[in-house]
Amino acid sequence: MHIGFHFEKIHKEEITHTQIVRYAGASGDFNPIHTVVPFGEKAGLGGVIVHGMMIMGFIGQAIDTWCASNDLVKFSTRFQTITRPGESITVSGLIVGETEHLWVCQAEAVNEHGEIKASAHFEVRK
Amino acid sequence: MNNQYEKMIGMQLEPFTYKVELSKVRELALAIDKNQLSLQKKEDIPPTFPTVIDYWGSPYSIFDFLGLNLEKTLHGEQEFEYFGKIKVGDDITVHGEIEDTYSKSAMNFIVIKQRFVNQEGETVVIGRSTLIEKQ
Repeated sequence: MHIGFHFEKIHKEEITHTQIVRYAGASGDFNPIHTVVPFGEKAGLGGVIVHGMMIMGFIGQAIDTWCASNDLVKFSTRFQTITRPGESITVSGLIVGETEHLWVCQAEAVNEHGEIKASAHFEVRK
Repeated sequence: MNNQYEKMIGMQLEPFTYKVELSKVRELALAIDKNQLSLQKKEDIPPTFPTVIDYWGSPYSIFDFLGLNLEKTLHGEQEFEYFGKIKVGDDITVHGEIEDTYSKSAMNFIVIKQRFVNQEGETVVIGRSTLIEKQ
């Protein structure tokens, strides 16, 4: 591990409407902009959009494969653009800094066209 | 721009308690990746699990509480700081407050801070959610 180190990319399967419904049930976030197509259309979103927290969940899954989960001390995600069913997400990450006890890292979730969906900052114990 | 949420800064939300069940932990892991269960050790709780505690444990909707329009509100940012570990079987009490609000580019930003405290009185996670309401 060193500054500039790139973690192995995680490629996720295409997001389906079924997965969104499943995520709604798991998380308890039943906001209809995620699950009810006519509501998403009425809101001007052109249909349903994926929960931002599902994308953060993908990044969290990647971090869990990169680092021991006990070592994670901070994890923040900024949602950049909306994601729709049918998109496929890849999560990448790298170490950008360090302190005496921590690695300071960044991660990004992008779709198959390279569009950034979410950018994350996380810190793990050395 | 008028930000009607300014007067809510510092407002405390009613605390609530949620018991962490293995089935909900597995359900979240499977919703994130349906192949994940075979990889997952029983004690591993996804780092975004506090969101389950929030939505399933809270007796009220933050949207209703703030009077936010579901059609015009998006989740802009989420942060978690981990001070301890949430474990299956824990009773987690959530203390929420409206920490900040500001307006820019014709949007209102509302920051909600949540402190997740286990049955030993230990703060295990602090979460911050930024909601964005479009005008």
